Amino acid sequence: MKKDIRHVRNIGISAHIDSGKTTLTERILFYTQRIHAMHDVKGKDGVGAFMDSMELERERGITIASAATFCEWDGHEINIIDTPGHVDFTIEVERSLRVLDGAILVLCSVGGVQSQSITVDQQMRRYKVPCIAFINKCDRSGANPFRVIDQLKAKLGHNAVALQIPIGLEADFTGVVDLLRMKAVYFDGDKGEILRLEEIPDPLIELAQAKREEMLDAASMFSDELMEAILEEKEISSDLILGALRRGALARQITPVLMGSAYKNKGVQVLLNAVNDLLPCPDDVENNALDMDQDEAPVRLVTDPEAPLVALAFKLEDRTYGQLTYIRVYQGALSKGDTIINVRTGKKIKVGRVVRMHSNQMEEIEAIPAGYIGALFGIDCASGDTFVTPGLSLTMTSMYVPNPVISLMIHPKDHKSEINLSKALNRFTKEDPTFKTHVNPETGETIISGMGELHLDVYIERMQREYAAEVTAGAPRVAYRETITQRAEFDYIHKKQTGGSGQYGRIGGWLEPLLDKDFEFDNQVVGGSIPTQFIPACEKGFRNCLAKGPKMEFPVTGVKVVINDGASHSVDSSDMAFQAAARGAFQQGYFKAKPVVQEPIMKVVVETPTAFQGPVMGSLNQRRGMIVGAQDEGSLCVIESQVPLAEMFGYSTVLRSLTQGQAQFTMEFLAYKTVPQSIADELEKKAAEQKKKVA
Amino acid sequence: MVMLKNELIMRNPMQYLSGQSTDILADGQFGGVLARAGVGKTALMVQIALNSMLHERNVMHVSLNQPVNKTNLWYREVFGHVARQASVAQPEALWESLLPHRFIMTFRAEGFSVPKMEERLTDLVEQRIFVPQLLIVDGLSFDEPVRDSLSELKHYARLHAIRVWFTIRTHRHEDPGPGGWARQLADVEDLFEVAIQLVPVGEEIHVKPLKGLTLTAAHAHLVLDPTTMLVKERGV
Repeated sequence: MKKDIRHVRNIGISAHIDSGKTTLTERILFYTQRIHAMHDVKGKDGVGAFMDSMELERERGITIASAATFCEWDGHEINIIDTPGHVDFTIEVERSLRVLDGAILVLCSVGGVQSQSITVDQQMRRYKVPCIAFINKCDRSGANPFRVIDQLKAKLGHNAVALQIPIGLEADFTGVVDLLRMKAVYFDGDKGEILRLEEIPDPLIELAQAKREEMLDAASMFSDELMEAILEEKEISSDLILGALRRGALARQITPVLMGSAYKNKGVQVLLNAVNDLLPCPDDVENNALDMDQDEAPVRLVTDPEAPLVALAFKLEDRTYGQLTYIRVYQGALSKGDTIINVRTGKKIKVGRVVRMHSNQMEEIEAIPAGYIGALFGIDCASGDTFVTPGLSLTMTSMYVPNPVISLMIHPKDHKSEINLSKALNRFTKEDPTFKTHVNPETGETIISGMGELHLDVYIERMQREYAAEVTAGAPRVAYRETITQRAEFDYIHKKQTGGSGQYGRIGGWLEPLLDKDFEFDNQVVGGSIPTQFIPACEKGFRNCLAKGPKMEFPVTGVKVVINDGASHSVDSSDMAFQAAARGAFQQGYFKAKPVVQEPIMKVVVETPTAFQGPVMGSLNQRRGMIVGAQDEGSLCVIESQVPLAEMFGYSTVLRSLTQGQAQFTMEFLAYKTVPQSIADELEKKAAEQKKKVA
Repeated sequence: MVMLKNELIMRNPMQYLSGQSTDILADGQFGGVLARAGVGKTALMVQIALNSMLHERNVMHVSLNQPVNKTNLWYREVFGHVARQASVAQPEALWESLLPHRFIMTFRAEGFSVPKMEERLTDLVEQRIFVPQLLIVDGLSFDEPVRDSLSELKHYARLHAIRVWFTIRTHRHEDPGPGGWARQLADVEDLFEVAIQLVPVGEEIHVKPLKGLTLTAAHAHLVLDPTTMLVKERGV
């Protein structure tokens, strides 16, 4: 493994579904000689693209789990994480971005900046990941890379600067003009492997000059030397331009744009050059950890292999020989035989096999130095765990993990499936923090929860395929919850003094709505009206009430409990008595506090041909959706709406039939909002029926 | 919620412009806000729209060349300022209750035409998805001939009892057109019942009624607050 950190790139390839990112990765691996044949994602040869290592991904033509791989290009080591494009799997994208230093944003030259690109862009912004854009599919009918550049500017607010212009478009797309060197680049050979540089074709000279001017204008903002050279009309070297563009790109002030067609083997090698030239090396990026001993004060990490180790486990995979843990080392080095600590559990771990991943094949190595991505075998940990040298107590910043919004009941078909199911659930919940599971204590049913219908669907399929766990799934259920809307007082006495040991406890105080938090307990009791030793029992009693709301038995959130008065009995008061008093007090105050049921509202963005705008809006409206706006994009129209999740089941089928399959939508959690009274009544009726059934 | 709304209506600086009535325009009428680029046309429009939404009147905001998110941001910003100024206790809840009264529709300027917008409007109205009572057209270029389109829209507005506001971008150092009106308005002035001009004077932006609006003596000197872009009385 080479050690010059300046020649290392950790990059992700992020994009909207079907923009061709898996094909692009496949081509990159081919040109960097990591693989020796190309296959298509939905190829006729049945092999599937190399990066889609899971059978299911091959079948669906989508990338679900990130596969990490590395390759070498022009003396640089490039670690690539292929990220999923569907919004249901954004935790994967988020995780990848957390460990990456730079990214290629793949855009379709026909579809342009689509809704998922916007989500991915927001994520890149959150983790401050510099990116370059690759406008793919320039060979497609309707391709218009300049329109996509305009959209990058208008929709994403990027300072998008074209480094190339296409030579021909659609079926006539033959190559690109490199605006830095002012040369036409063609991709010859069966697989586009031979680069041929020519003079720019005459009809394109004027456009190329104009676009070069634009590029120089933008780049000169980041280099005085370049600015001077332009003003003094000196010869401008491509290195000078690249230096300026790199500075701009690293500061996320410029998004260099390249173009091509991965499928037609055009433009990929030039993109790789741009990755080396314009994206940061690990040393260019500031990474911080939190010091657990210093009240989580941020600590700047240094990309020095000699420093103490700080590494992050960002992905887990179950392999035949045990768990494979993908690791990014931020500081120090992780070597075979080292003893390291898992900060979360405090457990010591002896490092066994250290490998470098190449999709689903691996290569044994001695160590992973700072700045590199690798994998460990046989380590028991969860995704997001931090590993350090013994004596350190640093943790990487926790990643933003959204709460699940949908759940469904699953039931194994036989005993064998039951055993396999528990293995599968154990692994999936470790791998994906947005996928959760629990057993309903009343019905004994196993419930799985996640971020959307497709998210859970994919896991059910994986249970069957990878673990032979045959399960039947119930109807998806929305994660409703309860909250209160106004302040209400309580004063409750729990008294049981009829025979046996007695129970006595009185609690007075109030409940009030709480924004941005699930629960808060405030003890304002003075003068010992409730003895101090019973206060924790009071809090516990109130907390226990949250799991099942008194109104509809949904979890209760957003409640602040303040206690300021009470009474005790020298003999009959106990922890148990005060817990019971707290339950009674909660019940008493809860209904006075006007409880409401809340439901998850999703942000639904539909992209549809303008001709279907009316029916699509109608379909969203019928689903209790509120349309925020409609954006006319020429032949396409983007409708942004807020729709309750409960109304979105099966929407993809409805949308397909409404628009002859020409529209697509993305959906992500937005907020919890109060359900309308009519729906609340319906839910109440259903809950009553359910109760009757159980009884 | 009703109380919250009423409170905000009472304290909303827009009442200086609309006086006793709930709105400056009557059904079917046109209003225009004239100003140079960057002076505050959209901010004033959004205040007019929010005032309408507070009165539970539906507002369709048609924006040219601005994405939905950006237009939405304008509303959030202006609402935030108004709510802060009026010390509203639960601004989030109030904001949520106002949202169903707003629909943003954006077009690319080059692809926009009044018939196209009418087609979209009709689509929404017929399906009862959204029935606007106030239409805001932000970003239409009055440098090109618009008389025919506006006449057609006027007919539509009267037919459906919609009030329509336009932003009209003027240019620096430009001679007035016939009748002393700004060149952009001169040709279509008769279609507009109300016209307001925003004039930067030193550090202030003066709100100057041009047509169809008389400010009461008590509020004769209205300006846009340069920090919040809200309408206020000069010197207050």
